[in-house]
Amino acid sequence: MERVTSWIARLVFVFLYLPIAALIVYSFNSSEVSYRFDGLSFRWYAELFRDQMLLESLRTSAIVGVIAALLATVIGFLTAFGLVRFRVKGRGFFLGAILIPLIVPEIVLGVALLTVFSTVGVPTGLFTLVLGHVVITLPLATLVLMGAMSSLDPSLSEAATDLGASPWMTFRRVLFPLLRPSILAAFMLSFTTSFSNIVISTFTSGVGTTTLPLRIYSSLKTGLTPELNALGTILVVLTLGVILIVGVSQMRRILAGPRP
Amino acid sequence: MNETTESPAVKLTGLTKSFGANRVVQPLDLEIGRNEFFSILGPSGCGKTTLMRMITGFESPSGGSVELDGKNVDGVPTKSRDLNMLFQSYALFPHLSVYENVAFELRVRRTPKREIDGRVREALDLVRLGAYAERKPAELSGGQRQRVALARAVVGRPAVVLLDEPLGALDQKLRKEMQFELKRMQREVGITFIYVTHDQEEALTMSDRIAVMSEGRVLQVASPTEIYDAPASRFVATFIGSCNVLDGVVDAQGRTVVVPGVGELPASVPPDARPGTGVTLAIRPERVRMTASGTGTPPVGAVAGTLVERVFLGDEWTFHVRLASDAVLTVSVPSGEEAAALGAIPNGGSVVLSWLAEAARVLPAEEVAA
Repeated sequence: MERVTSWIARLVFVFLYLPIAALIVYSFNSSEVSYRFDGLSFRWYAELFRDQMLLESLRTSAIVGVIAALLATVIGFLTAFGLVRFRVKGRGFFLGAILIPLIVPEIVLGVALLTVFSTVGVPTGLFTLVLGHVVITLPLATLVLMGAMSSLDPSLSEAATDLGASPWMTFRRVLFPLLRPSILAAFMLSFTTSFSNIVISTFTSGVGTTTLPLRIYSSLKTGLTPELNALGTILVVLTLGVILIVGVSQMRRILAGPRP
Repeated sequence: MNETTESPAVKLTGLTKSFGANRVVQPLDLEIGRNEFFSILGPSGCGKTTLMRMITGFESPSGGSVELDGKNVDGVPTKSRDLNMLFQSYALFPHLSVYENVAFELRVRRTPKREIDGRVREALDLVRLGAYAERKPAELSGGQRQRVALARAVVGRPAVVLLDEPLGALDQKLRKEMQFELKRMQREVGITFIYVTHDQEEALTMSDRIAVMSEGRVLQVASPTEIYDAPASRFVATFIGSCNVLDGVVDAQGRTVVVPGVGELPASVPPDARPGTGVTLAIRPERVRMTASGTGTPPVGAVAGTLVERVFLGDEWTFHVRLASDAVLTVSVPSGEEAAALGAIPNGGSVVLSWLAEAARVLPAEEVAA
């Protein structure tokens, strides 16, 4: 029995990582078609960096992702702070209202956003993309930060006040340093959610602001080119890099003993 | 010194607090002197924490006023009040070292840099943690964290430090040690300590004065010995230490108390007690003398009873004796020859109890036993 489960576990791992391994291997494939491996080559990387359309959409996605994640983190922080710290009236209603975008199907949200934008007369573009992405990332950021804040001892900020700190000093010297890892997590989660989003982007992007996922999706019609493998490999390496840097610095903080 | 030297450290006038329709602190007046170790003692939910939070400014009173050092501080925010609090959870800043935790107030209040180091070292020496300055709170034991919190509370030399059940999270042995440590430190720094606790032993061992609270009221404010020997009410008598209570009425001469089913019992009846008034008789277990029936002449006012249980506690024996009225009295006898002899009386054996009149306090009867 144990042998069976251990083999299942191994198969799950293979299933999880085989596509990524294949992606990386095929990004160095010299062949035009993706199902045959002809030999090693950097040809697709070269093509990728010449593909202005693709690079442009990568840039759009990065800009939208960073701005939407920043906004979601800041608004989410303030929302979480208010909801956790103060027993305000209508707390349950507020919380529900913020979490609704998590439950409502994205396609419905997308249609709704487009309806609102066209009614008000806002042209679709970077601005609407960012707004749309804030709608779906805000609940995530809020939830992450609420969790972190409610695990903080409320007497910490009372102690700071008692010791003479103004609200701003309490935030800067106590709350922010303690919540920094969670703020970072909220930002990263929001960024990746925005970066990989297709449905909302379909409705809120305009001419010239096609995001990377939209570009890749639309290239399905003309056939996937191996340069997408190259792009995918670069993104995987970047992601791993960020995780390593963040992870290592976190590990160092945890492992760090008393300073000499 | 200024003109406020003579005013008490803390003065509460008609202070009260309600949450909605629920009045958790009844209007009360209280004066706490300078350099006093003052305890607020009461069971959980008696309003003592709310009272303390009104003094710190974390809660705003529903009525009445708070004076610190002779100055009214109503509406003054917590950060501007000359007091610090030691939190039950210690509330040490986990990201800062012990040194920086203690230095926090000095940095926030913009104390000159050259002064900070000396004062932090001094505070750490006071709590004997000078060697731990660079540690993080997570690397300390519970008792050490407690001391850091105390150093942090006194480093700014406030007039008053409020301590919210600070020993609650420590184990029994450490708690005893810290009781003496706290008292020593309070004497050394000469700061008024307001100590909030539900533990009567802590209050008795450390305090100069104790305020006993129940259901939002202060029932008695007195020194530990007075609280123990001369409780003002049945609640105080039974909450502090153990105490036998019997309900009865003052006799016709106004000299003894008649307990139904038992008879006249010796008691220190106050001169103004009117014959026939219902009272509560309170006698500490260690003030009751027990002898086996038929050994010598029983003293005047002795009561016969039946031994129902004996408990050996190491340093003392505790006997439970049922009287004719079915009331059960507790008698405690320090271990020794006498106790050993009494311990030999079998359960169900007849015994005689007696006490001196002054050992039996006469308290106003309460309709409901608290």
